[in-house]
Amino acid sequence: MTPPLVSPLGARPSRFRPLRRAVAVLAILAASAGSASAQYGSPPGIPQNIDGLTVIGKGTASAAPDLAEIDLNVSASAELTGDAIVKFRDAKKRILEAFEGLKLPNVSVEERGLLVDQKGATPNPYYIDYNASQKTKTEVQLSRKLVVKASGLRELDEDAALQLVGRLLDVAQDAGAQVGTTASENLALRYMYGIGGAGAADLVRFVLEDAGKLQEQAYEKAVADAKERAERLARLSGVELGPVLAVREISAPVVPSRLAIYGIELSEGGKEEPVGQRLVSSKLGDIPIRVELQVRFAIHPAANEEGREKAATP
Amino acid sequence: MISARIAIAVALLSPALAMGQGVKDDEGKISNDDPGRPLQMSPASTEVKEALDDFERFQRRGAWERALKALYTIPDDQALRFVDGRDGFIIPVARKRREVLAELPPEGRAAYRLFYDAEARKLFDEAEGDDEQAKLERIHSAYFTTSVGDDAADRLGDLYFERGRFDRAADCWLLVLRDHPDTNLSPATLATKAALALHRAGRTSEFDQLRTDLEDRYRSETVTLGGRSAPPVELLESLIGDESPGAGLSPDPDADDAPLKFDSSVEPAWMVPIADSIEAGMTAAELNQWRASPLSDAAPASSVDGSRLYVNFLGHILAIDLKTGKLLWRSSSFHNLELLANQPGAQMSNPAQFAILARGEFLWCVTRDLKIQNYNASFQLECRRAEDGEVVWKSPDLPEIAPFEPAGAPLLADGMLLVATESQQSQPLPGQWVLAIRPRDGKLIWKTQIGSFRQGRQRFYSPYARSRPPRPRLLLDAGSLYIDTQIGVLARLDADSGTLEWGFGYQTAPVQGEMYFFNPYQQREPDAVGGGPISLGDTLLVKGGQSSRIYALDPNRMTLKWERAIGKSARPLAADEHAIYLGGDELASLDIQTRNLSWAARLPGGSGSGTVLVRPDGVRQFTPRGIFEIDPETGDVRSIFRGADLGAAAGGDVLLTAENLLTVSNRAITAYPRGADAPPPTEEKTPR
Repeated sequence: MTPPLVSPLGARPSRFRPLRRAVAVLAILAASAGSASAQYGSPPGIPQNIDGLTVIGKGTASAAPDLAEIDLNVSASAELTGDAIVKFRDAKKRILEAFEGLKLPNVSVEERGLLVDQKGATPNPYYIDYNASQKTKTEVQLSRKLVVKASGLRELDEDAALQLVGRLLDVAQDAGAQVGTTASENLALRYMYGIGGAGAADLVRFVLEDAGKLQEQAYEKAVADAKERAERLARLSGVELGPVLAVREISAPVVPSRLAIYGIELSEGGKEEPVGQRLVSSKLGDIPIRVELQVRFAIHPAANEEGREKAATP
Repeated sequence: MISARIAIAVALLSPALAMGQGVKDDEGKISNDDPGRPLQMSPASTEVKEALDDFERFQRRGAWERALKALYTIPDDQALRFVDGRDGFIIPVARKRREVLAELPPEGRAAYRLFYDAEARKLFDEAEGDDEQAKLERIHSAYFTTSVGDDAADRLGDLYFERGRFDRAADCWLLVLRDHPDTNLSPATLATKAALALHRAGRTSEFDQLRTDLEDRYRSETVTLGGRSAPPVELLESLIGDESPGAGLSPDPDADDAPLKFDSSVEPAWMVPIADSIEAGMTAAELNQWRASPLSDAAPASSVDGSRLYVNFLGHILAIDLKTGKLLWRSSSFHNLELLANQPGAQMSNPAQFAILARGEFLWCVTRDLKIQNYNASFQLECRRAEDGEVVWKSPDLPEIAPFEPAGAPLLADGMLLVATESQQSQPLPGQWVLAIRPRDGKLIWKTQIGSFRQGRQRFYSPYARSRPPRPRLLLDAGSLYIDTQIGVLARLDADSGTLEWGFGYQTAPVQGEMYFFNPYQQREPDAVGGGPISLGDTLLVKGGQSSRIYALDPNRMTLKWERAIGKSARPLAADEHAIYLGGDELASLDIQTRNLSWAARLPGGSGSGTVLVRPDGVRQFTPRGIFEIDPETGDVRSIFRGADLGAAAGGDVLLTAENLLTVSNRAITAYPRGADAPPPTEEKTPR
């Protein structure tokens, strides 16, 4: 004789047979949904092992910028390339001489690559042009980005730093340099963001050049914070914290991004920016580095009685 | 097989190569008949051109009767129309006919005289009394190559000389010397008379050349002029004596060459705020809206006369005492100007078209009322009393000049107000005109059409319109009036009669669309302001506002001395014996001998507009960051005088008066005292 099926809920098992089938179907559906979620919900390469204790640790470190940078654009155009060369040579010479005339040892001017293109009302890439340009002549345009660098900013108080930056801006403008964004950059900014004209972009960049040490500090703080949080959770949960199983960077210091529209970088010279541990801010003040880490620790059952009790408590 | 393919390819490509070469050959040629050019001088009819072609054809065959008959089928009214000449000059048909007749070989000349001597002699005999000049001019124009053509030209030269038209007199005598080799007149006498006239007309290089000729070729001859007989050079020198040369030979005697030095300690003598007056009491939103309007960047037009400064700011006329800066009168206040300026109708107006000229009792303004909400409202010419600003006359009230819209700053000369205008009718196409008006009452003295536009009037329906056409500029030099239309034609007129003598076609941007709509995302080229023609001795420098070439002409010999590519935005500012100073994206100097760019200095805000003060001791430009003084030799910035008016839209005008250096911008009019070195007051030379 086949023993009767015993319902966990007690008597009259036959009455619940249809329900049992439905539960089974739901279970299958739930399992398949779970599998779909595993397929599409989690990023590939991340193990689905959820053993242990996972916390997020945050760390911040900051330091004052040591360098101010001003982008200048020197350009000249003419129908005769010879004229463009004379104009460009004179314009660059005047700018360099103006900065040399300051006789400030901590100020230098770096030159980026020379761009040779054409000047004028080019077809507008952002708008249907009903009056297409009827230019028949091409003016050769030579342009080059100059970066004025004032170092030793950290040794100056805010007022002195402002005085220095202001002087550099004045000298650049008096020497006829274009400070800030170029006309084509302005056009793109206006199209994308409705802003434009002089001053649409920052005139001065404040830079922390060797940010490696600061980054190290921020990571240390983030790890310490994670450990502290994990220990707290372990203590409260009655388990013992084991070794670190995995670490994931949630946010980390990034290289300053360059503004690009449709893949076109707004600053032609941007590609030539030095790559390294640079942190850039548009504001004169301490530049922070923020690090956020997700850390998973192994856990073990508590060794003492109190711990075991805590662990048994629902 | 391969060689066969190559042969086929060569055969197929060779026409294309030939066509390509042909295009290249014609590329630089400027023709009045080119439909791509914005302005056309009154063209001769097809029949005239055919007649000239027929003449050439029959002349080659030696069929003189038919050749000359073809030439004289040209009706008189067509003789005043224009055909292409040499070197880009556009000349009247009558002149063209005279030129081809002057080049006739001896047999052709003999035939010509056989057919036309009688007619010419009849005219010559009739040239007496009131008709004398007209009949002589007729012979000069139509029958110069006849046997009496030289006599007529000589008498006509005498007439012109007596009337003070030295340039015309010289041309008559020079024409006989050059194109009438078998004249029975004494070449030595003609050359002496021509040299005297050239000296008085200020045509230096021609005078020097003729004087050398007199010395070399006619030294042994005796010439009698004014009852005195002597060898030509001796007689010429005795006639010239201490006589000062005509205009163009010497530096301007009124030139203000007192030194100018401004340091940071110089405070303004006075200041008339413009932007502050308009912006007072505005909310942040109103201020933002006003400053976004293109009119808020407009600097007023100004004119100095005696002890007063007159200003035309968007149709608001002001008189200011130059000594104190006190406002003497104004036509209206700036109150609520921002409301008008933000209306679409006002935003379409071209701020560069407002102009003012003051002289003596009157001042003349090119202006329009911003209250008129028509997008394409016309400007008008107004005459006001200098004393109190009362309107004496205005062009819409005068039927003779009402159909014309003033297009540029007027010029006052010899009791005439000369104005470049555009006819307002659209059928047939509007034209470019010059009017000579009696200054006191607006009565029309003469009017001359320079040409017809090849399109209707340009209409603007957006303040973001890509560019505004530059305004035509006038120059009066040695009795000739030059108008640079800025759109491809420089024309010379006789200032007395308004007779259009010739045009010069230069490279310019092609015809543009008539309507400009909304397009804020167009990367704009700066509006080309354009500079007026500059007279430098025997040379006239021309650079149209829409042109990417600069030209040096000899306007009297009608030759092109040189031309050179230059940026479209460049505009000639001034010239001396060493250099041509250019504005534009940069302030620049062009060596006049080598025509190389000597230096270029990019100043804040560029040098695209505004009056620049060019003097031997320095070039001074008013920028948004102060007045920059540039070394004219090297282009180095010698000094920057910040002054009290910083942040102007694009700088502005810098003017020099007897007591002050004035800066005029969209923000203020500021006077800085010149100190003790200032010269005595002089009259303004070139108003803006």
